[in-house]
Amino acid sequence: MIYGDKKTGILVQGATGRQGEFHIGLMNAYAQQVGGRGVVAGVTPGKGGQQVHGVPVYDTVKEAMRDHDIGAAVIFVPAGAAADSIMEEADAGIGTIVCITEHIPVHDTMKAVSYAKVQGSFVIGPNCPGLLSPGEVKMGIMPAQLFARGNVGVISRSGTLTYEVVDELTRAGIGQSTVVGIGGDPVIGQTFVDVLERFKNDPQTKAVVLIGEVGGNLEEEGAQSTDIPLVAYIAGKSAPPDKRMGHAGAIVEGGEGDATSKIARLMKLDVPVASRPSEIPGMVRQLFCSC
Amino acid sequence: MKLREYEAKNVLRDAGIPVPAGFLIKQADELTGHLDALGEAIVLKAQVDVGGRGKAGGILMADKNTAVATARELFGKQVRGLPVHEILAEQKLDIRHEYYLSVTVDRAAKAPLILFSDIGGVEIETTAKEHPGAIRRAVAMPLMRDLPPFMIRGLAGKAPKEVGPIINRLYRIFCEKDALLAEINPLVVTPQGVFAADAKIIVDDNALARQGISVNRDLSEREREAEKHGFSYVELGGTIGVIGNGAGLTMATLDLIGYYGGNAANFLDVGGGAESERVMHAVRLVASVPSVKVIVVNLLGGITRCDEVAQGIIAAGISQKVIVRLAGTNEAEGRRLLSEKGYEMLDTMDLVVKKAVEVAA
Repeated sequence: MIYGDKKTGILVQGATGRQGEFHIGLMNAYAQQVGGRGVVAGVTPGKGGQQVHGVPVYDTVKEAMRDHDIGAAVIFVPAGAAADSIMEEADAGIGTIVCITEHIPVHDTMKAVSYAKVQGSFVIGPNCPGLLSPGEVKMGIMPAQLFARGNVGVISRSGTLTYEVVDELTRAGIGQSTVVGIGGDPVIGQTFVDVLERFKNDPQTKAVVLIGEVGGNLEEEGAQSTDIPLVAYIAGKSAPPDKRMGHAGAIVEGGEGDATSKIARLMKLDVPVASRPSEIPGMVRQLFCSC
Repeated sequence: MKLREYEAKNVLRDAGIPVPAGFLIKQADELTGHLDALGEAIVLKAQVDVGGRGKAGGILMADKNTAVATARELFGKQVRGLPVHEILAEQKLDIRHEYYLSVTVDRAAKAPLILFSDIGGVEIETTAKEHPGAIRRAVAMPLMRDLPPFMIRGLAGKAPKEVGPIINRLYRIFCEKDALLAEINPLVVTPQGVFAADAKIIVDDNALARQGISVNRDLSEREREAEKHGFSYVELGGTIGVIGNGAGLTMATLDLIGYYGGNAANFLDVGGGAESERVMHAVRLVASVPSVKVIVVNLLGGITRCDEVAQGIIAAGISQKVIVRLAGTNEAEGRRLLSEKGYEMLDTMDLVVKKAVEVAA
């Protein structure tokens, strides 16, 4: 596993909101199932002293840190407050910060990610489903019932497409080490390069599936940075130029970041690229045969 | 959202970057009062929300005597299919040299990227291919209010000394206006000084509200309608309507349509929590596109309730065929509701897409 395990205590920002409350319930149900610590504290300014599913809520992150051993945070606050939450957690010394929130202005994300880096924290997201290490820990909103423990890592810019691929892998008998949704925004904290480096140092992970999409060239950069066996899938072959395809970061700009050239560059790096999600399990299996 | 040229130039002017003398007019006669200020040679530029307007005849040259008639001609034109409602009338500059300057977001560095090129007036992608040595780049720190002088000197190179402050001012505009792109192309040298002859500013759609922009002009009417319901929607023009949840899964569904030889009509991501009313609106919206013959619904998620989705599809009551792939909770109930009404529900995205391509053919 990477970023956290059973022993990781999680803090949820925006604990008393609809999303926060709902997912604290699901994250702790998973923690109970695998014997992990799960969410140990919540934070919502002005709501200190309340409880959500039995989890104590604090006004500030620092207060929560005083009472609990916390290694990671998951953010569910609205877009206007999310950058502030990232910085509050980094300032309090939380190492792994998962930001689920969508629609954060890019300039806010750039500032918050930059500040977190100075404080020595890592940001996963924003606009992401979080991460899940089967049998260990769930930080975010991924539907745990689709996952199975195993040796394949998954890194994705998407949410539901990740579930689709994980579902295909699990049905094919291929378990996962850790599945990380890095987020669909143009600027994100942990990119393919960063997560691949973690996977490289993770003895459990033998191969990684990269799920990318149009926009930017971070998939290729990631593939170039590692010698872990990879299988890739790139969504957005049908995306017209200069149109955002749902994700703020999914846009072909100035003739760059289109799916066809991305796929060509990945294949040049000897990365097998699936033309459909359903081809991924077979290609992963082939990876294990040949190496 | 892309600002129009005159809006971008107002932003530049307010920030102290010289722009040519110019006036926005809504009818040709308004020009009469401005002729003295504009001088002998005048450029008339249609303010339409479309790229490549110069090549499409949206920019016309005139002199003092012909300006009003030329403006009238431009108002009567369509530029790439769009009517001309506003014209920016500007003094024509005596251009001696053209540079390129822009600030954009560098995804890898997670920071602002400043590009300066000794060659301007052409697209930066062209310069990058043909004269890569002409482009200089620098990455700022997102928390910097101003660029350090060494960075500005490095970017400006041998350009006139007025260029340095312009680089820093454009960087500040980029930060203050929540821009994804702030571009001056060309930045021109004239005997009267350095001017931004053209300007492009794209504001982050997620920051429009705090920038005081209430309507996103880049969206079509149907796209705006979709936005009201919280959908992400893009029109593509084919015959197979697509509704998915999550941008990646929806894109993958479109790609699969292409893989099996069909043409997608649209991209529609219903977003999280696909309850029956949202699904109904989504189905009706896609069905309202005249070219749509069949609709693929591909919804996946641990918390998506299939019975809710089924009710939404049925409530939409549209005439086109709807083919459904659902995975989530209450799957059996969703399947029962749909099959009772004669809808087809298949197990995988490959199967639904293959079927839809057959129906559309």
